Amino acid sequence: MPDTSASEPIIQLREVVKTYHSEAGDYTALKGLNLEVYPGEFLGILGKSGAGKSTLLNMLSGVDQVTSGEVLVRSAEGVIALHTLDENALALWRGRNMGIVYQSFQLLPTLSLMENVMLPIDLCGNYHPRRSRERAMELLRMVELEEHARKIPAFISGGQKQRVAIARALANDPPIIVADEPTGSLDSVTAEHIFELFEKLVAAGKTIVMVTHDQGLMPRFTRYKILADGAWVEEMP
Amino acid sequence: MSEQSSSRPLIVMDDIVKIFVNAAGTFTALKGVHLTVYEGEFVSIVGKSGSGKSTLLNMLTGIDHPTEGRVLVDGVDVYAMSESQRSQWRGRNLGIVFQFFQLLPMLTLHENVMLPMDYADKYAFDERPQRALELLKMVGLEKQAYKLPLAVSTGQQQSAAIARALANDPPIIVADEPTGNLDSRSAAYIIDIFEELSRRGKTIVMVTHDPSMTERTTRTVVISDGELIEEAIVLALPMLSHPLMRAVHDRAERLTFNPGETIIQQKAPVDKFFIIAEGRVEVVLQVRGKEEVIVSHLGRGDFFGEVELTRGGKAIASVRAALDAPVRLLALSRPDFDWLMEASPMTAEAVGRIVQQRLQENRSQERRKRPRILGGR
Amino acid sequence: MRPRWKKVLTDLWDNKARTLLVVLSIAIGVLAIGVIAGAYVIIDADMSVSYAAHNPANLELRMQDFDTDLLDAVRHYHGIADAEARRAISLSVRPQGSEVWTKLDFIAVQDFKENRINLLTPVEGADQPHNGEILLEEDARDKLGVAPGDVVEVRLRDGTIKPLRVAGIVQDPTTSAADFLAAPLAYVPDDSLPDLHQPQTFNRLYITLDSGQDDEDHIREMLFTVKDKIEKSGYYVGFTRRSKTHQHPLASTVNAVLGILMALGVLIVFLSSSLIANTLSALLQQHMRHIGVMKLVGGRNYQVLGMYLVLMLAFGLLALLIAVPLGGQGAYGLALFIANSIGFALQGYRIVPLAFVAQIAVGLLVPLVAGLAPVLSGTRITVLQAISGDPARFGGGVSESLIDRTLLRLTQALARRGIHTPRPVLISIRNTFRNKRRLALTLFTLTMGGAIFISVFNVRTSLYRFVQQVGNYFLADVSVDFSKSYRIHKVESYIKQVPGVVAVEGWTYATAEILYPDGSLADNINILAPPANTSLVSPLMVAGRWMRPDDVRKLVISESILDAYPDLQPGDTLRLKIEGKEETWEVVGIFKFVGLEGTLGYAPYEYLSRAQNRANRAFSYRVITEEHDRAYQNLMRQRLDASLRAHGFQVEDTTAGLASLDDASESLDILITFLLIMALLTATVGSMGLAGTMGMNVLERTREIGIMRAIGGTDTRIMGIVITEGLFIGLISWVLADILSVPFSYFLSGIVSRAIFNTPIQVVFTPTGFGLWLGLVIILSSLASVLPAYNAARLTIREVLAYE
Repeated sequence: MPDTSASEPIIQLREVVKTYHSEAGDYTALKGLNLEVYPGEFLGILGKSGAGKSTLLNMLSGVDQVTSGEVLVRSAEGVIALHTLDENALALWRGRNMGIVYQSFQLLPTLSLMENVMLPIDLCGNYHPRRSRERAMELLRMVELEEHARKIPAFISGGQKQRVAIARALANDPPIIVADEPTGSLDSVTAEHIFELFEKLVAAGKTIVMVTHDQGLMPRFTRYKILADGAWVEEMP
Repeated sequence: MSEQSSSRPLIVMDDIVKIFVNAAGTFTALKGVHLTVYEGEFVSIVGKSGSGKSTLLNMLTGIDHPTEGRVLVDGVDVYAMSESQRSQWRGRNLGIVFQFFQLLPMLTLHENVMLPMDYADKYAFDERPQRALELLKMVGLEKQAYKLPLAVSTGQQQSAAIARALANDPPIIVADEPTGNLDSRSAAYIIDIFEELSRRGKTIVMVTHDPSMTERTTRTVVISDGELIEEAIVLALPMLSHPLMRAVHDRAERLTFNPGETIIQQKAPVDKFFIIAEGRVEVVLQVRGKEEVIVSHLGRGDFFGEVELTRGGKAIASVRAALDAPVRLLALSRPDFDWLMEASPMTAEAVGRIVQQRLQENRSQERRKRPRILGGR
Repeated sequence: MRPRWKKVLTDLWDNKARTLLVVLSIAIGVLAIGVIAGAYVIIDADMSVSYAAHNPANLELRMQDFDTDLLDAVRHYHGIADAEARRAISLSVRPQGSEVWTKLDFIAVQDFKENRINLLTPVEGADQPHNGEILLEEDARDKLGVAPGDVVEVRLRDGTIKPLRVAGIVQDPTTSAADFLAAPLAYVPDDSLPDLHQPQTFNRLYITLDSGQDDEDHIREMLFTVKDKIEKSGYYVGFTRRSKTHQHPLASTVNAVLGILMALGVLIVFLSSSLIANTLSALLQQHMRHIGVMKLVGGRNYQVLGMYLVLMLAFGLLALLIAVPLGGQGAYGLALFIANSIGFALQGYRIVPLAFVAQIAVGLLVPLVAGLAPVLSGTRITVLQAISGDPARFGGGVSESLIDRTLLRLTQALARRGIHTPRPVLISIRNTFRNKRRLALTLFTLTMGGAIFISVFNVRTSLYRFVQQVGNYFLADVSVDFSKSYRIHKVESYIKQVPGVVAVEGWTYATAEILYPDGSLADNINILAPPANTSLVSPLMVAGRWMRPDDVRKLVISESILDAYPDLQPGDTLRLKIEGKEETWEVVGIFKFVGLEGTLGYAPYEYLSRAQNRANRAFSYRVITEEHDRAYQNLMRQRLDASLRAHGFQVEDTTAGLASLDDASESLDILITFLLIMALLTATVGSMGLAGTMGMNVLERTREIGIMRAIGGTDTRIMGIVITEGLFIGLISWVLADILSVPFSYFLSGIVSRAIFNTPIQVVFTPTGFGLWLGLVIILSSLASVLPAYNAARLTIREVLAYE
């Protein structure tokens, strides 16, 4: 269990507000959230659907822009205010510093597993192109999929796809992994395997933020926070 | 439940197996599901994502084919029809409400509600606008009737989708996580509408993964990894998480007793926890020697044996099958029961409260020597 | 291979239908450009080479009969390289056993072995006919449908029929090169002339010059000199023509026609670009999630943009692989077709570098230019928009356009009046306008295709009507020519006894030369002299008035005179040399007329017959019959021919009216065929566009189709919605095409008629094009939407709503 009081937060959200505008009127999904994520912790963000969990995750991965407030992330380049970066800089930063895992895997259907894992390296890699193949293979071996490396995603199961997605998230060896309901569309046995994989990554020193609506997972995070209608609450409503 | 026997079975799902085959191999989403829904019931199907609940719903609506088994809706074999016939049948007999509302974006709310009437041809062409307006009024959207879906809030879109589901006045409403994409206030409003429909006699089957929604329904069916959990377990131990319910379902021994047969003898040692799956039992107290007093009747979803297991020791009363019908029981061994109580502190707490209550009842019964109903749940 | 390039490769390979659609769209444009540019270059070069290779006469004189003495004399004139004499007569011919007579120009050649000018190229069979034999030009063979060894029958002037054996087939690219309305040619040895009841003398002189063969001024000077000398020798010259050695007389016409085709080719490139733009923007939309994922894992805009630009170049390269070889073949094929129809030979198959380069430029640039906008906007999408699959919600928000609001208000206004539109129809109509950019591009291609299609029919009708009107300048239902002049009253009384005859007019005519003020030859003119009140000629007057019975030395003249006298106006005078005498005539009117055989003029019969000392007599008669179709005219010709001969008239020839127009129409048909092919190509591009659009629409609306299924929509209902939308788009484009076809018809008919007739013609609108295109657009749009509709109906709801 990391000592959260002693170390500097690796991610910091300050008074983050997110409002969506539509013809039906404005909708505030996040109502001034503060959050600190510390290095090496496995933070669970719980809440029912519509509570704003995914929106929050999009804020700290720079996928969506805050309406107001700040998102600060500490990385090799120093402390970066994500909300000030332009899209290209954000893409490069994200590619190198943050691995993202979604409920729906988001693999490219026409590329082999190997190529899917190589893609982040190809696009903004910290590795030499020749090394990228070896790196991808290592990662696939880690998620026990090396014998499927040449298959395309349609030929593997949902759980295997999610393992590839995790391997891809690790391609550039980022310090932070964020995961949006990574077990949401898997049956309970497979979901358990995937969750164990995340636990291993935490043990290996990665910082992980995971969004889920499954209260059963609560005890397994090093820390969890509950979100309801865009604000932190003490208990599941 | 007593009203079940008096009303007509409207939906009968018989040994439904669904296997998805893709390049990655096969995946059995439903492993032989039996489900009967009676006219007028408001059923919630709960389960986590991936448990097979939406697949089950798709079997009921005829949206997907079962690999094995039969679905009868009001006596009609859903899968004996062609896909196109089934669409027509569905339009007339089922109202479907989706998680993502699924209104057609190019039609106004009013037109969206009229569309199923155009397909079913049940109401006269000139009657349709008025009827659609009345339905929208019922869900509180008469002011928004001529707006396009994207111009109203998501809660209003879902209300309109419910109005659309009612367009052809179908006897059955099927809803797939209708509140899944709504904020809590809108969700409450939608649930109110469903309750109102249930009061008006519609049969409603609703999938949700939110256990709190099930409070408002008349019956909860839990599905876990492609199988329905014995409903008695859900009734008896509602605080259990689904994997634990599943564990009870899997580990319990199924026992049947004939009418009048004794299940537990007072003062004899008890090492099982019983849940009544079907039928009724009588709890009998032998007071001062030979006198027998029936202290209570327990029915489906009630449990007994917990006092003895938690307190150790002998049976505080006899339990026997009621005289009218045989009894089917689920029995959990002592180690399993202990494990369960440890795994789910909330359940242990609830069971503890019942134990206290029953012991108290028992003592007062001994004093008063007259039967009194005991609460089981 | 690096993953991003592997993705480009699999994008090409995995959706073969889409790749095919894009590649074919590019290929059609490339092909059109390649074929036309290639043909243009080949024809431009080979037409003159082929013409020169047959040693065309620089001067041609049609004159009073002469013999070898004059020919020998001419050969010794200064500046003359060579001369040949021939006799040309017009006779009707039919294959043995046939009833249909075809008019051929018979050329009697002195010595086939010694043929040095206007060379004949043997095609088939013998090239030197003996007495009793005949050589046919390719055109004549095609028209008669005979082969060497067959026997044809010739109707001589006195009505006797003489069989001749076809000895062989030749190609003659020079003799009637300037006049594609001329009759087909046949060749006989001059010792067979007596058998054809013709004197064994010559009436045509073909001359080549020893220098300045491509110098217009020199040739004209030489013509003037030669003609002057011949006339001083006592021969009357009726008609002259001059030609450069290295320029085919029709070169400018053919180039103009190819220019029109080129313009259409460029248009097709434009249309296919909009088709490509459509498909690519759909592709980018389908790839939205992929782009999002790439950006999510660190891809920057320029990397993603680069991938899609390479994809587009790959589409272009694939299109080139198909279109370049086909284009080369097509170019040669088109050139060969034109060469055959005009009658010259090509120098053999070859690749035209200019066309090759143009094809590559079009093939690579078109997809880049057409795809740039969709690719730029597609790759600019944010990760959030991409991953959520809903650019509208997370983008600038949904905005209803004016069209959407109008449609909505319209249905609501109707509804308030109690008129409710069935919702499925509403869905079709509103779906039509959902993707407005796509709709606009689809409508653009389909409308352009339709407008050109309709215009081609209008132009066709306009051209035919013009030719008809031109024919009316000198043709009647039946024309009867006698070998001697008869009193009009006498002929009239006989002809009117023939059943079916309505009226008859006696005409006379004269040939003359129009002179420049210095006395040199400006132009030849044929002066026709019908009665001033003739009902047969309805001239299209450009200026001035039509003739009157009391006109004396007054002339109505065709506008081709403006070539020689550009400022000529009614009231001006011209110097004419008419039957050897110089006279001054006043021009009273100018009319529209087409023809490459010099200028046409009208003077009243009342004057000219007196001037010729043949008052109330005529050689030539025009008969109007009760009906005017081809069959009736042929029947009446036979009746008149038989009846007049039976009454002892010396009939030289009888001709049915429309028959001689057929030739003219046929050469127009070639042009119309080309235009129609281009129109069909544009229509094909248009319907490919529609099919693509409907396919994309269905693909994007699968979810909605699933919903309709879920709430009770049957197969037929769902297919109905898709097909109605397709038809609706088709009908909108039909209306737009109707409107657009009006300026198109004017434009196209303007350039076509200028190219062929050197004069703009009146545009006639025919319902044929509008009707055919309506039918076609209904068929095409149904076909274009049936497959997508069928696919739509086949989708199961689970696939569509994809739950688990």
